[in-house]
Amino acid sequence: MDLKSLKKQESKRKISKGYMWALFCAVFWGIWYLPGTVVWVLNPFDEMYGAIAETGGDGTALIVTAVLITAFNALTVMLALMLWNGVLGKYGELVRTMKEFHPCSKWFFLASIFGGPMAILGSFIAMGFIGGAFAAVAALLYPVVGSILAYYWYGEKISKRAAIGIGVIIVGGVTIFGGGLLTELSSGNVQWIGYLGGLMAAAGWGIEGAIAGKGLDISEPDVGLTLRFVGENIIWWIIIVPILAVFGYPMYSFALQAFEPMTLLVLIFAGITFGFCYVCWYKSFPLIGVGRGQGIGNLYGLFAIIFIFLFFGDVPQWTILVGGTLCVIGSFVMFTEDTSELETLRGE
Amino acid sequence: MSGNRPIKFRILEILLDGKERWNYEVVSKIQEEYGMRSNFHRDSINFDILELASGGMLKDVEQKVDEDGIYKKGFLLHKYVITDFGKARGSDACLRYV
Repeated sequence: MDLKSLKKQESKRKISKGYMWALFCAVFWGIWYLPGTVVWVLNPFDEMYGAIAETGGDGTALIVTAVLITAFNALTVMLALMLWNGVLGKYGELVRTMKEFHPCSKWFFLASIFGGPMAILGSFIAMGFIGGAFAAVAALLYPVVGSILAYYWYGEKISKRAAIGIGVIIVGGVTIFGGGLLTELSSGNVQWIGYLGGLMAAAGWGIEGAIAGKGLDISEPDVGLTLRFVGENIIWWIIIVPILAVFGYPMYSFALQAFEPMTLLVLIFAGITFGFCYVCWYKSFPLIGVGRGQGIGNLYGLFAIIFIFLFFGDVPQWTILVGGTLCVIGSFVMFTEDTSELETLRGE
Repeated sequence: MSGNRPIKFRILEILLDGKERWNYEVVSKIQEEYGMRSNFHRDSINFDILELASGGMLKDVEQKVDEDGIYKKGFLLHKYVITDFGKARGSDACLRYV
């Protein structure tokens, strides 16, 4: 085979690999909404919600319970990733990277602030207040935030076609989002905290992706993302959970009750799906760019709706079906992009 | 100094002098410095170089077919040079130790 065709073949392989990672991310991410929704009705979280709601009201109870659920989610994700790094033999690289705080690992810790207390907490709040399908589709807007930040901050190119694809995905997301909101508006009972959670998820994940890119430039994704979850565990277990405990919320007594088989199983399931969705997400960025990686990863919204339908039997509204279809179309507009444009992703 | 910095830092550091290098030269140097002998590690280091290149920090300046199996027979070999962006990111990350 001659040099030119071999070159073309290799570039194609690289790009399809990037899209493959992004697609895996979407599947894992979509599945994650199953344990994420189920965990709310399991003890100790169900009891915790009831106990706090008696004295502090429903809103506070939901947020405090969401904090504990998010903290456990971060813990199981970190454990899953530690295992993953062990399999890849990357503990050495993990320590080497962690030591480089100033040039590198500080970006992962910064990313964990937006990824954890903003995006994931927001998602759990949205799941608790409104439901899994809404939580999933509300976050569909995050590529807008991510792509715009990546464009202004480190000059990542967004081709016209990618921009159109992102635009269509957003219209799809807004359709799904708007459908639920309009129904609730007409019934006069709008769960605003839930919708705020959805917006937190969208903004948080967009910002996280753009910040994490700074550190990912110069580190390995498996390692970088483990550090990002080490950061999130520090935020929850060393800062926020103790602070809430000081304010008198029964964090530790309920946290200790989480060690029962069913709850643990669901939490571990959440950790594995979420951990690997991140592995795939981060692996796609260096190959196809933050904007595109996030765009294809966005198919998770559709996967989440399908999985929720299959496992819980929740039939989606027509707005969700229309919006979901738009998301697929938008992703394929990006997917079929002329590959030659992708050879260098950033301006020189 | 070698073997105790993240692998991508070291790759940038090696290329920071602006000279063009073949991927197999960089990969085998890293393998030696970090004691990573297996084929799995070889591919993983090469993937780091790919990531640096698609991140705009290295530029792929020349390719040839690996006829003799220096690296992987029948595959492409790539020659890389550091870009200005790579120099900026590389010296940001590496130079304070040099």
